[in-house]
Amino acid sequence: MITVANLSKKIGEVQALNDLSFSAENGQITGLLGPNGAGKTTCLRTVFGLLKPDSGTSCVDDIDVAIDPIGAKKQLGLFPDPFGLYERLTPREYIRYFAELSGMARKPAKAATDKVIEQLNLTDIADRRCKGFSQGQRMKTALAQAIVHQPSNIILDEPTRGLDVMSTRLLRDILIALKQQGHCVLFSSHVMQEVAALCDRVIVMAQGKVVAIGSPQQLCEQTGKDSLEDAFIALIGTDEGIAA
Amino acid sequence: MKMILAMVRKELIDAARDKRSVMAGLYYAIGTPLLMCGMFMVLIGQLSSPEDLHITINKADNAPDLIRYLDNNGISHGEGKSVKAITLTISDDYAADMAKAKPAEVIVTADKSNEKLQKSISRLERNLQAYSSEMGSLRLIARGVNPQVMAPLKITVHDQSTADSKGGLILGIAIFTMIYSVFISAMNLAIDTSAGERERNSLALLLSHPMTTRQLVLGKVIAVTCFAMLGLVLIMLVSKVAYMFVPWQELGFSVNISPDFMGLMFAIGAPVALLASTLQLYVSFMAKTFKEAQSYLTMVLFVPVALSMAATYNIAPHVLEWLPVSGQQQVLMAFIKGREIPMLQLAISSAATVIIAIALMLGMERSLKSEKVVFGL
Repeated sequence: MITVANLSKKIGEVQALNDLSFSAENGQITGLLGPNGAGKTTCLRTVFGLLKPDSGTSCVDDIDVAIDPIGAKKQLGLFPDPFGLYERLTPREYIRYFAELSGMARKPAKAATDKVIEQLNLTDIADRRCKGFSQGQRMKTALAQAIVHQPSNIILDEPTRGLDVMSTRLLRDILIALKQQGHCVLFSSHVMQEVAALCDRVIVMAQGKVVAIGSPQQLCEQTGKDSLEDAFIALIGTDEGIAA
Repeated sequence: MKMILAMVRKELIDAARDKRSVMAGLYYAIGTPLLMCGMFMVLIGQLSSPEDLHITINKADNAPDLIRYLDNNGISHGEGKSVKAITLTISDDYAADMAKAKPAEVIVTADKSNEKLQKSISRLERNLQAYSSEMGSLRLIARGVNPQVMAPLKITVHDQSTADSKGGLILGIAIFTMIYSVFISAMNLAIDTSAGERERNSLALLLSHPMTTRQLVLGKVIAVTCFAMLGLVLIMLVSKVAYMFVPWQELGFSVNISPDFMGLMFAIGAPVALLASTLQLYVSFMAKTFKEAQSYLTMVLFVPVALSMAATYNIAPHVLEWLPVSGQQQVLMAFIKGREIPMLQLAISSAATVIIAIALMLGMERSLKSEKVVFGL
């Protein structure tokens, strides 16, 4: 479970987060939906303790990130934007390296790596160096890195960008499987269909603030619109920075 | 600790696969000793030539004592290519004139406008003059006169260009190239693992994992230091072979890369390698891209060069012997020259090296906690 309460953060002159509060429950997929520049990435970075909020707290499984960052990070898996692959390592080495950095011992890390490679159908590319990988292959490698240590919370920053239909479907299936295993999945996106298709709960963000929270259907009802897209535009009051 | 080991392992695999890093280290480690050897041979050739001056001496039998005197001073009759175009002819009346205390004639034939010969000609003239005044003194003594009346001036020239001091200069350079190898070998990996990490966007991902920035810094420093030491070992091995071909005996000492020297170099080099890796990592973490880091490091790498060169040219020697790099360099030079190792100097310069390295590590640890550095905000 991830909870953020009254987060505010100013980056330079921009108020990136403005008294932001929400929570993402276990066994649910929570979507952080907002136009470009709404503060989605800033919010996720704050959850990881990479950015320090000016005020407010963020907790992972009731561990305050500001007090025990290491303990909080142990409960987290990150699928970052951009992926941050090491081009000279193979996916097997890459995944295992981050498994060990997540606190696993060598042998369990190796076993977990083999398992996640199997799970994501990475076997054919697992021992090739990452240089020259397609966007889909990169996505899979980065995703494997995020879930290899079976964290209770998985955070994905814009996971579907640049993916083809097959990769998007695979990603969707994996996220649903994670949800069914009881993980807390939080992802940020500005792609409507993605959010509508996957999320149990949507947090609509604009200018660092929560505008509305609810299931896609609730949001439509709340605004009296038929599609999430129209509801979204009605909620944030502009169609700037949205991908349909 | 487990995580640090995992990091070191990953960084070393990553570096070994990076041709750019490996080649930069290799070129330096192999190329520099060979270059130094070439330089040494030329320098030794220049230094040792005045030792023996070969000229043509005609009718040497007329003045055996003079010939012996010149021979003692390195001037002798020679054959073949090394003979300078100077001819010394002893007149037939030499012995008779000498016996009668008349000026005995010797004739020097040479082209004085030839610049290359001038040094040799004046050397021959100087020696003849010295012999002449020595004979004069003996004659005065035989007549009961103190020969000092003939010498109103006492000229003392201190020629400082001894083989040892000139050799010291090149020896300093030779040792410096070895110490410098830790900086060169560490450079590419240091950039790649810091600025490169940020450029590839993996730095934030790395920091999102449950590890402290201290562990991260230590992992990187250890990996880069290992790589730097590898460069040092390599250059010592190449030097060991290459320096065997240099005619050291002409210099009065020899750069013998003995196992003892290698051991000492390794021990002294370790803290320097630590400094090299922390310094370069620290600077590279400040840079946003690989290229930016490279241009900063070119400036930073001038610092060890300046320290070493200042020591070689005797600029502020009393300060430099306590400083990192130059202090260790002087200790190694003392060892090569067979002098006693100045332990206090070694201890203080090594301690200074380690202290600076630790300060840089703490600085890095701090800066990696800063949002500005991590995200370049």
